[in-house]
Amino acid sequence: MSEKPTIEQYIKNIDEHNFKAYKCVGCGAVTAPPSGTCYSCGGNEMDWTTVSGKGKLVSFTVIHIAPEEFQEEAPYFVAIIELEEGTRITTRLMGFDPMAPENVKLGTSLVLDYEDGKSGRTYLSFKPA
Amino acid sequence: MPLKNTSIVSGAQTKFGYLDGISQREMFAEAVDKATVEVGIPKKDIQAAFVGTFIPEMLIHQGHSAPLLLDFAGLRGLPATRHEAACASGATALRAAVMAIESGFYDTVLVAGSEKMTSVSTNRATEALAAAADDMFESSMGLTFPGVFAIAAVAHMEKYGTSPEDLALAAVKAHKNASTNPLAQFQKEITLEKAMTPRYIAWPLRLFDCSPISDGAAAIVLTSKEKAKQYTDTPVDVVGTGQASASMNLCDREDFTSFEASVSASKTAYKMAGLGPKDMDFAVVHDCFTIAEIIASEDIGFFKPGEGAKALRDGVTALDGDKPINPMGGLKAVGHPVGATGVKQAVVVYRELIGEAGANQVAKHDTGFMHNFGGTGASCVVNIFRRSDA
Ligand SMILES: CC(C)(COP(=O)(O)OP(=O)(O)OC[C@H]1O[C@@H](n2cnc3c(N)ncnc32)[C@H](O)[C@@H]1OP(=O)(O)O)[C@@H](O)C(=O)NCCC(=O)NCCS
Ligand SMILES: [Zn+2]
Repeated sequence: MSEKPTIEQYIKNIDEHNFKAYKCVGCGAVTAPPSGTCYSCGGNEMDWTTVSGKGKLVSFTVIHIAPEEFQEEAPYFVAIIELEEGTRITTRLMGFDPMAPENVKLGTSLVLDYEDGKSGRTYLSFKPA
Repeated sequence: MPLKNTSIVSGAQTKFGYLDGISQREMFAEAVDKATVEVGIPKKDIQAAFVGTFIPEMLIHQGHSAPLLLDFAGLRGLPATRHEAACASGATALRAAVMAIESGFYDTVLVAGSEKMTSVSTNRATEALAAAADDMFESSMGLTFPGVFAIAAVAHMEKYGTSPEDLALAAVKAHKNASTNPLAQFQKEITLEKAMTPRYIAWPLRLFDCSPISDGAAAIVLTSKEKAKQYTDTPVDVVGTGQASASMNLCDREDFTSFEASVSASKTAYKMAGLGPKDMDFAVVHDCFTIAEIIASEDIGFFKPGEGAKALRDGVTALDGDKPINPMGGLKAVGHPVGATGVKQAVVVYRELIGEAGANQVAKHDTGFMHNFGGTGASCVVNIFRRSDA
């Protein structure tokens, strides 16, 4: 895992259900989605890291009116998840009813999974732990 | 130090809404004429143009907008540059114009914003708007703009107990103010019950929590203080301006209950003007969604974090309240042709300050505040205006 991480590879990893985050070589801070510069120390040397896949729900919405590409998937959740490693990431949610979003509680523990959408895209998706 | 040299001497907008059969260049020209020749400002006095428009490439398949629009509006030949910062495009154009005048480079310039959005379907417009967020990591998840503000609403509700009814009250206020604004897209009051019709766009945001898809244009003329009296007896001075950016990705923010670019741009503008929130008679804020008005009212320092909804409930931000917000109806009810909005906000503050806001006139109108916001809150511009004779 020592080649310089690229966004292309980051997305490919997700497509292959093999998520990896960036890790700052200087200070060890974990970052995802990729940033060109470490939010913690300002360093720009990055490496890949695997993550535990554990996270917590920070906030979310259910999209009803979607861009054309995603229209067939609506209504669908989009959520902000804080990974155990500290970084926050925008993902889908599974295992909840999009027509009963009031039952979804912020702070819920979740685990990483993947969802192959009708749009042809593969999403990072979290489900109840 | 307050800015010294820039005055607004005219401001106008077209009607906002579904302007069937009217192209972007036609509405642009209408706004320019209203702000220049129709109020006795000859076009030949204009030395440069600062143009705001967000995404005509996707909406009407047209790039390189500034010279095109200028040519059609009878200003061919002038230096003309487009400024783009998503929904804050208009105010970034305005800010560049302010800097050009402050520096002494120009005496008199035009700032004009416009967008033609109803040329495409709602889904296509949603997609075009989503280009204002990070395409690789957020838009690609199917996150939309209503979705971005829905995520903020969920966080604000959890932390402060803000309710769906509070959001609906912001819509009721906006529609009430717009009901007497002949240039508004929606000129009808709505009941609280109607505002709460459960047609979700991005839960928990419903139809009436959203600004609409709109066409429209707005224009202002800025000039040096020395020249201002030549054009009007009631110039309005630009006394402070601030701009800030934040992470493009919403997920990279620490807090979803406040937008850091709004807080930072406000602080900069207040400091420059040597004024604070208590000195502001009213504000025009970027209420692209009802929750955005509540959060903005906190971020600009009018109310403490978490107290924006209470101020709204208590009528403090109503047209006749102590701190009116969006007295003409805001983006929510007047419409939000994105590139026009920041310029239109300046037009509203200008009209209120000179006492020409008709049925929507606020009682105290010496100093006014505008807050224009772009994308996920990755751009924010704040300006403070004061009537020259105040
Ligand atoms: C909310 C939204 C999805 C509604 O679009 P839509 O579903 O196509 O709605 P329609 O055009 O079919 O309109 C249906 C009715 O609702 C009304 N309407 C549409 N948008 C409205 C709004 N935002 N508020 C109140 N009424 C609205 C229409 O006038 C129409 O009324 P009618 O039936 O009496 O004629 C669309 O306005 C939208 O995407 N808004 C957000 C725009 C945005 O994101 N801007 C950028 C912010 S950063
Ligand atoms: Zn680091």
